[in-house]
Amino acid sequence: MWTPVALSRDVPPLVVLPVVAGGRELALWRSASGRIAAWADRCPHRGMRLSHGFVRGEALSCIYHGWSYGAAGNCLRIPAHPDLEPPETIRVAVHVAAEAGGLIWVAPSAPEAPPPDPGALQPLRSLTVEAGTAAVLSLAGLAGDTLARGHLAGVEVTVAVQPIGPARCALHVLTGAAGAAERIALSRELDALRRRAEAGEMAA
Amino acid sequence: MILYDYVLSPDCYKVRLLAALTGAKITLRAVDFHPGAEHRKPEFLKINPAGTIPVMEEDGLVLTDSSAILTYVAAKAGPEWLGDDDARMRARVAQWLAFAQRLSASIGKARTHDMLQKPADIDACRAGGIQCLREIEAALVEQDILGARFLAGDRPTLADIACFPHSMLAPDGGISVDAYPAIRLWTRRIRALPGFVEMPGIHRLHDLKPEPAKA
Ligand SMILES: N[C@@H](CCC(=O)N[C@@H](CS)C(=O)NCC(=O)O)C(=O)O
Ligand code: FES
Repeated sequence: MWTPVALSRDVPPLVVLPVVAGGRELALWRSASGRIAAWADRCPHRGMRLSHGFVRGEALSCIYHGWSYGAAGNCLRIPAHPDLEPPETIRVAVHVAAEAGGLIWVAPSAPEAPPPDPGALQPLRSLTVEAGTAAVLSLAGLAGDTLARGHLAGVEVTVAVQPIGPARCALHVLTGAAGAAERIALSRELDALRRRAEAGEMAA
Repeated sequence: MILYDYVLSPDCYKVRLLAALTGAKITLRAVDFHPGAEHRKPEFLKINPAGTIPVMEEDGLVLTDSSAILTYVAAKAGPEWLGDDDARMRARVAQWLAFAQRLSASIGKARTHDMLQKPADIDACRAGGIQCLREIEAALVEQDILGARFLAGDRPTLADIACFPHSMLAPDGGISVDAYPAIRLWTRRIRALPGFVEMPGIHRLHDLKPEPAKA
């Protein structure tokens, strides 16, 4: 099962951030060369969140004691023991990450099918809503589950929905609208939708 | 210019940051904000009866508000930071300088509550802080649509300096910053500015620091 976790545009090279997918906390990061990765957000050394760390080149380093990890989640370097070749057993739990249609998707292990492709659309923004997925989608009048489609502020939208908890989700919004005025109106409508959903308003 | 300063204060840090970015010469006077509560002592209240920091003093001029201090430092040492390119930019800078007071009153208070055990209505402070972060996020989304990478235009101004510290330090007050992608990218741009200086909890981009030499 693929979960959308971010717009590709919002995770440029050298960025690492925490995301939640399928109830798991992950560190999502992009290397200098553009490779996207999603790992368990827990350093094998002392459990520090790797999303607090930093990317250098093709490796992710932990902020705490600086252990760094390569593409396969293998430990590359332990700064306190610079001459030590880190044992193979020190490994971060790696999830599968893939990009399609301007979205970043993750899955716990390689699914049968590639992630859903929303088609040629432009990314608008992601926003987190303190309300459950189903309530938000029905309030917005959007149809579908992982990729929901419809109209907001008179503009056609595609929303990739990331459930985060029973009463929290993130919306990753794409649109074909190219004009600045339309895009701004859509962004403001999303804020309004969030206010309504968080106030407990239900679809009629 | 003398700055009455406390190292952990975001409102003092923004002045140090602007001074570093503009090359302004400021003299720091450390205030024992915690645990000494020096800002509430009679001597300090003679300088700022409101009992807040930062305070700036120069040749009889006393400024007791961080937005006013930023304006003064910029006018003297880096007028481009005032954002006077056109009417819109100028008004946007004024708006964000005023907005920064809401950040102090919400995120700032949540932070002194959690870190220094100062009394506060912590739920109200956190709710106010989240509301502020959402407003900054939405504003940055709109700026991006208009082709501008900073709060008041396509270059950094006082607007960014005024709002940057609390946006970074919100987690100290129990306010998550995970859900704001536009804020994340904007704070990275500020942290990469030439001349950027750090404070505890706010660091230069690690990826811009050289890799420690292999032993
Ligand atoms: N309006 C002031 C607010 C500054 C402010 O709130 N400073 C805090 C420290 S960061 C303070 O002095 N608080 C007084 C107290 O907590 O006793 C400004 O922006 O300069
Ligand atoms: S906890 Fe990550 S390096 Fe020590």
